Amino acid sequence: MQQPLAIDPEQLRDWLRRVAQQDAKAFRALYDAASPKLFGFALRILGKRELAEEALQDGFVAIWNGAGSYQAHLSAPMTWMMTIVRNKSLDTLRRHGGAAGIDDQPFDAEIMDALHDPRATPIDALLISRDAQALAFCMATLEGLHRQVIGLAFFHDLSHSEVALQMSIPIGTVKTWIRRSLERLKTCLARGDRA
Amino acid sequence: MNIRDNAALCNKLAAEYVLGTLKGGARRRFEQLLREDAGLRRTVEQWQDRLMPMAEFTAAAKPRPHVWKAIERRLNLARSHAGWRFWRSESLAFWRTLSAASLALALLLVGVNYSPLLDRQRIDYFATLTDDKARTALLLTGDSQRQVLTVRLVDQAPVADDKTLQLWAVPRQGVPRSLGILPDQGVIELALPQAALGDDVAMLAVSLEPRGGSPSPDGPTGPILYKGNWVRNM
Repeated sequence: MQQPLAIDPEQLRDWLRRVAQQDAKAFRALYDAASPKLFGFALRILGKRELAEEALQDGFVAIWNGAGSYQAHLSAPMTWMMTIVRNKSLDTLRRHGGAAGIDDQPFDAEIMDALHDPRATPIDALLISRDAQALAFCMATLEGLHRQVIGLAFFHDLSHSEVALQMSIPIGTVKTWIRRSLERLKTCLARGDRA
Repeated sequence: MNIRDNAALCNKLAAEYVLGTLKGGARRRFEQLLREDAGLRRTVEQWQDRLMPMAEFTAAAKPRPHVWKAIERRLNLARSHAGWRFWRSESLAFWRTLSAASLALALLLVGVNYSPLLDRQRIDYFATLTDDKARTALLLTGDSQRQVLTVRLVDQAPVADDKTLQLWAVPRQGVPRSLGILPDQGVIELALPQAALGDDVAMLAVSLEPRGGSPSPDGPTGPILYKGNWVRNM
């Protein structure tokens, strides 16, 4: 059975609005709906279940306390929460000595397949939000290694030189690939491309 | 280095800031600029909208149930009675009005009932606690020097034999602190502890608890019957 696709952003906004009013019930609903994705993300960054749970906990405490400052017209609710959980995950990583095992393949296998060959595995069929689908389409247009560099930097908070070391390529190349890839994603997302 | 006039550089730095590859001193300088520059913040938010959906490229996973329990505990969501969140949602205008009104009323009541006492006491805290129909039920005066809190029951609903009224100091953040058990009628003097004098204590409230007081260390378990602003008379 398919679970419902992405969580409706309007529903998330509504919950966040109520959480800002200290509505504990809305907070629980928000947690039930959003925590699997946020936890999956934290788990990818941190590698260990215990650490990811710690980051998720810190993240939701920050979401409760910060919901009043969330500006619905400026950013998508999932983006806002992902940013919080990412920051908490990176804090957790630093607290525990930053020794998460780095996985060269930063994306889920199913997503990887879709990015690699969207005709064989349609991106539309992935259980991700429309924003994530749009990004996936654009990332599929990047070369595989460039995509990997972006993914490594994003999920493991690596510097240019750490990415270079990890992938055994010169740092100048890493910088160029990242700069070009980011520009390309920006242009592609602005056009609303469908590869 | 002034990067603000260089839109291309701003865009590049914002993108690498969100991606995470902007590090060390460069990252700190960029964060400093972010605090001062709304336009730059907007550029960063746009990059977050572009790149953060990458987070969804990982498989979802279910956290274990204890995570939610820990969140509940840290935010004190579970054990506190739902009604105990009332003070957080009330507007500033309401607070101001209530403050002025309750101070005026408290002064009036003190003037009527306590004028001989006032000469000897230095009353520097007041509260009038009202029920949900805005009827005054209790009058409280605090003398922070003698550390005495005088509670006068003005007019209140009868309390069942197996129940107790308990008085609480309600801080803006965190759990209410017990100030003691109240008698069914008359006047009582309680110790006025430091817990009630902090600047963060905005309100006093009375809850209906099982005989002997709230069984929970984290605050009241029963409904709030009376509440009112805790006003400091400077």
